[in-house]
Amino acid sequence: MKKILLACSSGMSTSLLVTKMLEYAKSVGDEVEIWAVGQDEAKKEMEKADVVLIGPQMRFLQEELQTEAQKYDIKVDVIDMAAYGMADGKKAYDQALRLMGNR
Amino acid sequence: METKVFDKLSKFLLPIASKLNNNRYLKALRDAFLLALPLTIFGSIAVVLTNLPFLEKMMSTDHLDTFRSAFGIASQATMGIMSVFVVFGIGYYLSKHYKVEAIFGGAIALTSFFLLTPFFLTPEGGDPIQNVIPIDRLGAKGMFLGMMVGFLSTEMYRSIVQKNITIKMPAGVPPTVARSFSALIPVIITLSVFLGVNIVVTQVFQTNMHDVIYNVVQAPLVGLGSGIVPTLIAIFLIQILWFFGLHGQIIINSVMDPIWNTLSIENLNTYTETGEVPHIISKQFIEVYTVGMGGTGMTLAVIAAIILFMKSKQMKQVAKLGLGPGIFNVNEPIIFGLPVVMNPLILVPWIIAPMIVTLVTYLAMSMGLVPPPTSVAIPWTVPVIVNGILATNSIAGGLMQLVNFLIVLIIWFPFLKLIDRMNLEKEQQKDKENQKVS
Repeated sequence: MKKILLACSSGMSTSLLVTKMLEYAKSVGDEVEIWAVGQDEAKKEMEKADVVLIGPQMRFLQEELQTEAQKYDIKVDVIDMAAYGMADGKKAYDQALRLMGNR
Repeated sequence: METKVFDKLSKFLLPIASKLNNNRYLKALRDAFLLALPLTIFGSIAVVLTNLPFLEKMMSTDHLDTFRSAFGIASQATMGIMSVFVVFGIGYYLSKHYKVEAIFGGAIALTSFFLLTPFFLTPEGGDPIQNVIPIDRLGAKGMFLGMMVGFLSTEMYRSIVQKNITIKMPAGVPPTVARSFSALIPVIITLSVFLGVNIVVTQVFQTNMHDVIYNVVQAPLVGLGSGIVPTLIAIFLIQILWFFGLHGQIIINSVMDPIWNTLSIENLNTYTETGEVPHIISKQFIEVYTVGMGGTGMTLAVIAAIILFMKSKQMKQVAKLGLGPGIFNVNEPIIFGLPVVMNPLILVPWIIAPMIVTLVTYLAMSMGLVPPPTSVAIPWTVPVIVNGILATNSIAGGLMQLVNFLIVLIIWFPFLKLIDRMNLEKEQQKDKENQKVS
């Protein structure tokens, strides 16, 4: 089970991408859990995640979240702008997998 | 060339955005307003219901008055005393940030605020009535004092706790009991300071902190913020930040919200009492008339322009993707998909359109063509037209948005057409190449 957490200001615009990523993961037969939260919950929720992706408009959060994520030994990255804009589920999902490595 | 300049600017803005977003005081303030938001929405529903335009035709004046006063408590108990929630919220969230007992932080902030509040009311030309708190001190008028006291009292409280001047309990004492004792010293010291301040201000200077902060800080700042020029500057900065792909509102609003929210409460309190709205600019003006038409930059008009008049596949696809969320004022697909971000061709309409719309709306409202927002709180995801009518309690508020829609569409049109033509050329070239291959 791969667990991917998306975060933005209130978790609204990233939730768009969640649907697309879930669709894609399902189509390749991966078992996943993907969910979106606002910036304040992100620190709490990352405990349950294998990787954290941030909406590009909140990319100034990266440093802070990465510091927190070190505790759980997971990576935090900013979603590629083009993938985010086009709600490209495949691209964002692949980005998440790359960050997760062999987990 | 251009991208290099943009990259540099972006690198320059990023740390500023990060600092503002992560500043502990601004963060506590943002969370405190968020705490008050659902409560004000509840109060707003009551205001909207009791002010529906057709009620006057359906009910006699007596019945309407009874109906209004019966429901009036719903807004008084929420927006009417909003400073209470903000003060408590600041104390709570700031304490939480420092990892000290947050609920005590909230209670101490609130008590410190009350310690500076006059518990009497002097009616005009009458003797002071003792043992009452004037409600406006807990609402709009006390907002800035409340915020200051919230921050100061929490800072005092947490620094005493962190210095560990607490009463240690022997092992075996239940943890809650131990906690209540260990909170005692920081509480007593902090509250004593505010009591002392109040004694000096009331006894020596014959005034109170509410009046001092209101006259010296709040009235000038809020007066400044209610003007059109500072509003346009704020809009400009929000658009610039988004142009670099940074969440403009998170950054700018954390500074402007105290002012905009204070204006809102003043509006709403006056509106429920007299039916008049004193300020055009308020939190709702910003939310409904600069964002509430498809999101930042009012991009629902851009989506319409693309769907109706543009031909390139890439743009059509973005517009199709952006339409659903756009109706509910979420527009990241347009911002990152079109894209708006770092796109020199879009910089001009992106910044000009919202500023012109803001100016036109402001003028229409100051000339009395459209009533200003009554400041009932409306969730920012309520779609265009509906939010305009709800915000102003008038059809004119929705019609204003139609005018704004056309303004945005006209300003964007030539720029979109240019991008469309470039995209079409690219797409045709690709098609030709594909044909050659096959």
